[in-house]
Amino acid sequence: MQVHQFLTSYAYGDAIGNEALAIRDFLRAQQIDSEIFTLHFHPRYAHQVRNYLEYDRFASRDNIVIYHFSIGSQVTKKFLRLADKKIIIYHNITPHRFFLDFHRGLAKDCFKGRLELKSLADKVDLALGDSEYNRGELVAAGFKRTGVLPLVMDFAKFEQKLLPVLGDLFNDGKHNLLYVGRISPNKKVEDVITTFHFYQKYFHADSRLFIVGEYRGFERYLNALQNQVRTLGARNVHFSGHVPLAEVISYFKLAHLYLHMSEHEGFCAPIPESFYLGIPVVAFDGGAVAETMNHGGILVHEKDFLKIAALCHEILSRPGLKKEILTGQARALGKYRQQLTGQILLEFLRSLQS
Amino acid sequence: MEPFISAAAEINVDEIMAAIGKRIQEKKDSGLLKQRDIEEIIEMELQPLPDFQEIPNIYDPMLFPDFAENVDPNVQLEEPPETNPVKAILKKIRGGFAPMIRFIVRPMCVELKTDILRLQKRDRIILQSSEYIRLLHNSMHNIIVEMSKLKTEEELLKTKIKMLEDKSEFLENRERALEKKLPS
Repeated sequence: MQVHQFLTSYAYGDAIGNEALAIRDFLRAQQIDSEIFTLHFHPRYAHQVRNYLEYDRFASRDNIVIYHFSIGSQVTKKFLRLADKKIIIYHNITPHRFFLDFHRGLAKDCFKGRLELKSLADKVDLALGDSEYNRGELVAAGFKRTGVLPLVMDFAKFEQKLLPVLGDLFNDGKHNLLYVGRISPNKKVEDVITTFHFYQKYFHADSRLFIVGEYRGFERYLNALQNQVRTLGARNVHFSGHVPLAEVISYFKLAHLYLHMSEHEGFCAPIPESFYLGIPVVAFDGGAVAETMNHGGILVHEKDFLKIAALCHEILSRPGLKKEILTGQARALGKYRQQLTGQILLEFLRSLQS
Repeated sequence: MEPFISAAAEINVDEIMAAIGKRIQEKKDSGLLKQRDIEEIIEMELQPLPDFQEIPNIYDPMLFPDFAENVDPNVQLEEPPETNPVKAILKKIRGGFAPMIRFIVRPMCVELKTDILRLQKRDRIILQSSEYIRLLHNSMHNIIVEMSKLKTEEELLKTKIKMLEDKSEFLENRERALEKKLPS
């Protein structure tokens, strides 16, 4: 048996790409031949992936093909035509309404993606979501056989040390609030900025906000965010852009609190990562966030920015409360273990073979 | 009603909420925090730059609502010749007084419109001029759209420059921090 994977895009630092790579490495460790086939890829990964059109050379009824589905593309058409056994891993598609004002092309692809998802319903052997929330959407789309495959969380990468230069620059006694993720309208970065502004203005002037993530393709959104920062008069808002992993880890290690205001998430990897690094998390209950938090951190149900800013201040000014939160987070982290994901995947593959 | 926050069982959410309420009230009492300012900020909306590439061309029906009838290609440009000789003589006599009669009895806009139509009928070059005016309107419209696009692009370039400025400042600070670490 061979198990191969299809992706639409393999971007640098992308959670889906990382998961595909982790799955491939795990399968190879189990002596199962595995390759990744993709439409777009970052040049850095050129030696690790193949063009999806090359798959015909590998196709066989005995193979299993896993398709990481997150957006509409021509890869879906190719995947549907394969005679191999088919699994999709659904990473969720952001509702197109979030992109209408900022990226019509992406809005179109997301809209198309949701239509394609419905067309896949009766054509795949197994549909997996990386969270219960995503599995719910699969069931709603009409998939018969569904399951949950937790996202592979590789915490070993956080064993790196804080970059000393970044430490010198930002470890200066200021309270560092952190947001990690794409600068994208569904992530509601503007709400993070507003909350930070209230925090800085009314509770702790000596504070800083790190916004760490890729903004390419969303320049107009970034422009609007920068105008917002200027209008509010918020100080020390640091947009890092796309940075290497070592720097992302350093920003995590410099942060005193992780703030997430996204209104749509299929999983949200930075939350368990913050749990792992012992950073208290305050996150809005959007999409799969509540499930990902697994009763750890503080989950906010209403966007009252002043109250959220006051909550951040409470957490950072009361060591007892912070300790309690971190204890809860450490407990919540239990379900994210890499070896567990691998075993779950193997069981799904065996069930499909039998 | 759903609580404002939820957390692990060992965390006393009510106590946190009471502390938050107290802290906000203190700020309000001291005059530092004004509800009006908060509301103003919350009501602020993001102002995205327009994306002109996605704007359909919708000016035509608004700018030229009845233009099509004015330049109707099927309009009869040549008047049929008068066959009745009496009518032809009367028409010639009337024609001599026509400008004065029209000046006295007809409103200016109708006069102008009739003149244009008459000229268009008489001379094809006038019809072409109408097309030319239309072309000018189109050009002006396109210039405005292009200039707006350029403005949008300028704003985006400003954003990119701002990012580069921030990055260069960050790199300068980084360089200084690195220099400090060098053995003297």
